[in-house]
Amino acid sequence: MVDLATILAGFSDAFSLYNLLFVLFGVVLGQFVGAVPGIGPIMAMAIAIPFTFGLDTLPAIAFLVGVNKGGLVGGAVPAVLMNTPGTPDAAATALDGYPLAKQGKPLKATKMALFSSVTGDTFSDIVLITVSAPLAILALRMGPIEIVALMIFAFSILAGLIGNSLTKGIIAAALGLLVASIGTDPENFTPRLIFGYWDLFNGLPLPSVAIGMLAISEILHRLSLAHGSVGAAIIVKDTGNPDDRRVTWVEYWSCRYTMLRGAVIGTVLGALPGIGSTAAAFMSYSMTKASSKEPQSFGKGNLHGIAAAESANSAVVGANLIPLLTLGIPGSVGAALIISAFMIHGLQPGPLLFENQGRLVYGLFGAMLMANFINLWVGQLGLRFWIKVVSAPESIIFSSALLLCFVGVSMATSGLFGVSIMLIFAVLGYVMASFGYSLVIFIIAFFLGPRFEKSIAQSLSLTNGDLTQVLKSPVAAALLILSLVSVIWFLRTNVKDNQG
Amino acid sequence: MTINADRISGAFFCLFGLAMYFFVIPVYVETAEGGSLSPNTMPNIISIIIAISGGILFLKPTKQQLRDPRKMAITGFYVLLLVAGIYAMSRFGFEYVAPVLALAIMWFIGERRPLWLISGVVLMPTAIWFAVTQLLGRGLP
Repeated sequence: MVDLATILAGFSDAFSLYNLLFVLFGVVLGQFVGAVPGIGPIMAMAIAIPFTFGLDTLPAIAFLVGVNKGGLVGGAVPAVLMNTPGTPDAAATALDGYPLAKQGKPLKATKMALFSSVTGDTFSDIVLITVSAPLAILALRMGPIEIVALMIFAFSILAGLIGNSLTKGIIAAALGLLVASIGTDPENFTPRLIFGYWDLFNGLPLPSVAIGMLAISEILHRLSLAHGSVGAAIIVKDTGNPDDRRVTWVEYWSCRYTMLRGAVIGTVLGALPGIGSTAAAFMSYSMTKASSKEPQSFGKGNLHGIAAAESANSAVVGANLIPLLTLGIPGSVGAALIISAFMIHGLQPGPLLFENQGRLVYGLFGAMLMANFINLWVGQLGLRFWIKVVSAPESIIFSSALLLCFVGVSMATSGLFGVSIMLIFAVLGYVMASFGYSLVIFIIAFFLGPRFEKSIAQSLSLTNGDLTQVLKSPVAAALLILSLVSVIWFLRTNVKDNQG
Repeated sequence: MTINADRISGAFFCLFGLAMYFFVIPVYVETAEGGSLSPNTMPNIISIIIAISGGILFLKPTKQQLRDPRKMAITGFYVLLLVAGIYAMSRFGFEYVAPVLALAIMWFIGERRPLWLISGVVLMPTAIWFAVTQLLGRGLP
């Protein structure tokens, strides 16, 4: 499907100095914001997307990938030092990282997190590069009927896996689809639900919805927690022993099976929509502890605990792009944000991307591999500095982040109308989160909404409105049956959980 | 029947779905001839799903706890501050409003240290102005 010349051209694009500088900038920014409790790579990506408008597609996407990868490394810093993960993904890292920091070995803990994170990430990137093109060939054989069935399956999995209630997952997905229907309908191009605002004729602006839901709503929540108290600087203990400031090769190599297990868990879970890196990290941690000869040492500063959590949560990032690039379905919010960046640059992720934009896809793969090396290099140099970053007060972080969101959305939507939309979705996001509704499902449904409706319309045209024709496609029928089975299974699980 | 967060949100979504189906969509979605999918089909189906799911949630709630109402009220205050900020930006521009908005947010959080206040009120807006207008060549709101 993609010839060797295209692959090599893509990699050479990625390795150009211009692109590498953007990857470097993304990684530095990602590690920095990851180290700040309360910001995290997702919020940073959401804020950064509008600022990539003026860039070519590859540097823009590579920059965002750098932010995402760097953020996972940076997120381990507050987890280790303060027992306050900068990202939810790093929560499992804190279990052994924080005790190690309390023993006066913060640099050893953060360096182990860095090395295992890069190891897991590189593993999953290699899997992504290897399997995505063959999967895309299979995906290209799918027609609109199969795509509709696949999306219904993805929604059923997402709604069941994220959050504590299938019903609330369905409501969040339906709300995302409803919001996506604002604008013109894909068949007749008549206006829908625009309430007289012709700015909405082309639908709600992606940056406004994404930044409002993901960044501003979280900032509002954190502002309410920080209100009346200014974060105090933390004091980092250090034993002064050089061995406690580094990870030796022997220590790293002794964790090789732990990291491999974590990378495999992260890659497998990351390839499935909806299962986030937090779940992968905790699963890897639990399995490592269960298989250890010294399970009692976990939670007291065991390097294997850090290696298990970090290799798994970082492996999810690359694997998340497998459903995105092969099927056009984002498996996580990070992937959904990358989709929005693709769409802003006029590209539709999915199997056709390999055929139409093969050079760009392989450029992205090259940039991802380079981002791993840069992550390692920047982490080695920057960890000492990021340790200081965690002491920055929330007052300046949140006020600056808000101003950046205002400017970013204004640039992306050409004015304050988009900023107003952003604020409306920030409030909606805050209220939904307050009542336990998943913003991840909402955002993914919002992104997929127009394609979902278009595929349904195409399916109806193909079958002349006869829905029984759907069952003549074995793939579609199997996916619909799987959706039904998963819904029933999740319903039973929910009932058991609520009774327990 | 005890009142919990899921009962409140379930009732809301049930009513919301019904209101969308019976009142909002018929008025705000134009009808069109032809095509395999009418413009109002998807919104109608989604509204029904929301209404039914809301009803189910109302009847079968989980143990969802609501966030602290006091914290939610504080959030409401910050939302009003941002609304005022957007309105002021539409009248006076980002350059004049951003430092005031940053100061207000930092002040309400409880920041009183002059160095951090100066950083947030002067340095950050200046850095944003420089990055957007000088480096990217774009306009500020």
